[in-house]
Amino acid sequence: MATLQDFSGYNPTWCPGCGDFGIGLSVKQAFVQMGYDPSSLAVVFGIGCSGNMNDFLNAYAIHSLHGRSIPNAIGIKLANHKLPVVAIVGDGDCYGEGGNHLLHACRGNHDITVIVHDNGVYGLTTGQVAPTAEKGFKSKSTPAGIIETPINPLSFAITSGATFVAQSFAGDAAHLSMMIKEAISHKGFSLVNVLQPCVTFNKVNTYQYYLKHIYKLAADYDPSDFKSSVSKSLEMGEEKFPLGVVYKTERPVYHEQIDALHKDTLIKNKRFTDFDKIVGGFI
Amino acid sequence: MKNFTWMIGGEAGFGIMTTGLAFAKIATRLGYHTFDYVEYPSLIRGGHNAYEVHVSEKELTYLAPTIDVLTCLNKETYEKHKSRLTIDSYVVYDDSEFEFEGEVRKISVPFKKIMAEFKGQAVMRNTIAMGATLAVIGTPLEVFIKVIEEQFSRKGEEVVNFNKQFAKAGYDHVINNNQNLTIKMTQRENVETKMVLTGNDAFALGAVIADCKFYCAYPMTPSSTVLTTLAAWGNKTGMVVRHAEDEISVVNTAIGSSFAGARSAVGTSGGGFALMVESLSFSGVTEIPLVVFLAQRPGPATGMPTWTEQGDLLFAVHSGHGEFPKIVLAPGTVEEMVEMTAHAFNLADVYQMPVVILSDMYLSEGHKSIAKNYIDKLITDYKVDRGALLESLPVDPQAQGKAKSFPRYKVTEDGISPRLIPGVPGYFYQANSYEHLEDGHTTEEAAPRIAQVDKRARKWLTYLTKDFQAPKVYGEIETAETVFVSWGSNKGAVLQTQKKLSESGHQTAFIHFTYMYPLDRKKVMDVFKHEKRYVLVENNSTGQFGKLLLAEVGIEIKEKILRYDGRALSAEYIISKLNK
Repeated sequence: MATLQDFSGYNPTWCPGCGDFGIGLSVKQAFVQMGYDPSSLAVVFGIGCSGNMNDFLNAYAIHSLHGRSIPNAIGIKLANHKLPVVAIVGDGDCYGEGGNHLLHACRGNHDITVIVHDNGVYGLTTGQVAPTAEKGFKSKSTPAGIIETPINPLSFAITSGATFVAQSFAGDAAHLSMMIKEAISHKGFSLVNVLQPCVTFNKVNTYQYYLKHIYKLAADYDPSDFKSSVSKSLEMGEEKFPLGVVYKTERPVYHEQIDALHKDTLIKNKRFTDFDKIVGGFI
Repeated sequence: MKNFTWMIGGEAGFGIMTTGLAFAKIATRLGYHTFDYVEYPSLIRGGHNAYEVHVSEKELTYLAPTIDVLTCLNKETYEKHKSRLTIDSYVVYDDSEFEFEGEVRKISVPFKKIMAEFKGQAVMRNTIAMGATLAVIGTPLEVFIKVIEEQFSRKGEEVVNFNKQFAKAGYDHVINNNQNLTIKMTQRENVETKMVLTGNDAFALGAVIADCKFYCAYPMTPSSTVLTTLAAWGNKTGMVVRHAEDEISVVNTAIGSSFAGARSAVGTSGGGFALMVESLSFSGVTEIPLVVFLAQRPGPATGMPTWTEQGDLLFAVHSGHGEFPKIVLAPGTVEEMVEMTAHAFNLADVYQMPVVILSDMYLSEGHKSIAKNYIDKLITDYKVDRGALLESLPVDPQAQGKAKSFPRYKVTEDGISPRLIPGVPGYFYQANSYEHLEDGHTTEEAAPRIAQVDKRARKWLTYLTKDFQAPKVYGEIETAETVFVSWGSNKGAVLQTQKKLSESGHQTAFIHFTYMYPLDRKKVMDVFKHEKRYVLVENNSTGQFGKLLLAEVGIEIKEKILRYDGRALSAEYIISKLNK
């Protein structure tokens, strides 16, 4: 059985107090508790402070380009659907640069888990605004305040076809690792949006701010109802951030609907040799 | 039988393409060689479509300047193509629909009347036209009847018979009203079985031969039929084909699947490739194998989507930011496309780098008949070579049950490092888009940076030593008065140019490049050792290969024949420019 230490790579270089520490720990806890070791899963990292976890976490991994982790993850899953595939990305990475990929991964119900570090800013490029920042947020790239309204990751994912959408908080490692475990266990596309303070560049969405605005979904909350999940997710716009599984449903996953992948994984499939079947069409 | 060219034209959206291909198959089934090309605008309805098929008893790699039989489903067909007619050309048309002046052999067929009589649907004008055409060229109707039976048998005998009557009406009308028809395209004896393939079909077939497991694309003319063909074959071949949301997703899905161990390819045209190039660089630094099919069309931007050009050679050569090795190939014919595609997958795996295969509209969408034996032999002889890929690795007993870091980017003499399939127990590593250490961890230190840059670059040297192919030479350079230098799909046109010029006593040679980049300086210099009149022939406006040859080898060719009007090069075009 693997331990937290087995998953630990280099010592993190995140700023002291960064929410990424909590996320990094929760990810490792979830993997250990699920009985994985660094050989048994694939992780794709985006570019940003979140993506820098690549060097702090041991696993078969790709440290991708900015925004492109989701298609990399889909490719890994299609080639070897027996490997659990997790994408660890940032808000600019996933909701900005790679927004189109997220939309279509939700539609496809690809069996991958996407964990988004949502801190409202671009930390690695020293504090420009991210797509999840509140309207009016002042940053280096928006000194007069951002004109756009924020993206709502929860309602976006739910209405685009994601079959598991959860939210957690970097300051609550126990809750977060529970959400990650549920997301990975879920068969289909799962998104975990992690609210995370950036202690260096976001002076608005601090630990104190989040502690004031987050709340855990009630025990009797029903995540299977599409419409009520959407209205629940819309509370984000009123600075009320629900934590927990906001939406969960079942729909056939992408790779299970491909005949070629019914018997075995794509990489294990035998070479096609019955050429008469295709050559005849050219005569 | 003398070579002849048949063309059918009509309004887009009414089955011209299907009819053209059926004609090419009829000719090859009778034992003839064919080479064809389609002309169509970038829209589905309302424009003009034309499909021409060049037929010969000998192998063909080019189109002819004149049209011998022009089948006009509308007046526009005649107007657009009349300049290629001679007094011996037959024009099949309906004189109740339009009439024309012009000294040709007119064959009027009452399309309109037959359609009304049998209550046909619009596409069945093609069936009448094909019946009539076969009568003009002296081919028995039976071959076409067999094609109709194959095409419609699943829909029942009634549908088969309904279609047959249109073919017969067209055929009979010509036979009953015309004498002294001169072309006789009848069954030849002792001929080998042939296949009719486009360059895109050839890429698709080559990918299947190579055991490509994953193909990803976003539709873009002229590459789209690779996607549709491979998707249609998916149930049989077991290849997974993904039509992704955009070209950036396309290339990154393929990089993901390749990382996980599946041979993977993508296909696109210039605009889509432009979206992919950041990820080409990603494939380069992570050393994840990738085959890219780039079917060129005239740019810039949307350009002329359904026409042809070789405008993206230097773009492909320089694609991707930063410095990393890649291979660019440009097959010259359908046969070379099958063979080089299958080989490209081995090169990508062995050298762990992106391999770009350049095609263009002319090669991608034109059909050529090729011997089935050739394909059968390729299939039998092909060996999958996955290079340094490890599908398993014994667990290290010293690791005491713990997963161990695998040195994915180990510095080696030939630059090639062992690549482990993710999921193998006992190990892990990361494929890192950042510069990295041997174990994949990010580094910004000078020494490992230099070590990795040099390691990647050594793969190029290894490739040049082991796999680079010098250009092929056609004709004798030593005795040639003129030496043509060209690449990729211009091959057929230049070969035909040589043949025509030799008829008038002008001896030529032809240096044809297919291994475009990187170029081995010494091997190429060796081919150019004679003092000659070299003439560069390219289907673009800037002589891109000439620039590459100068930059990489130091050879400058001053005399250039360049065509960039969206049309393919032809012997007639090259000869007309040669002596100016």
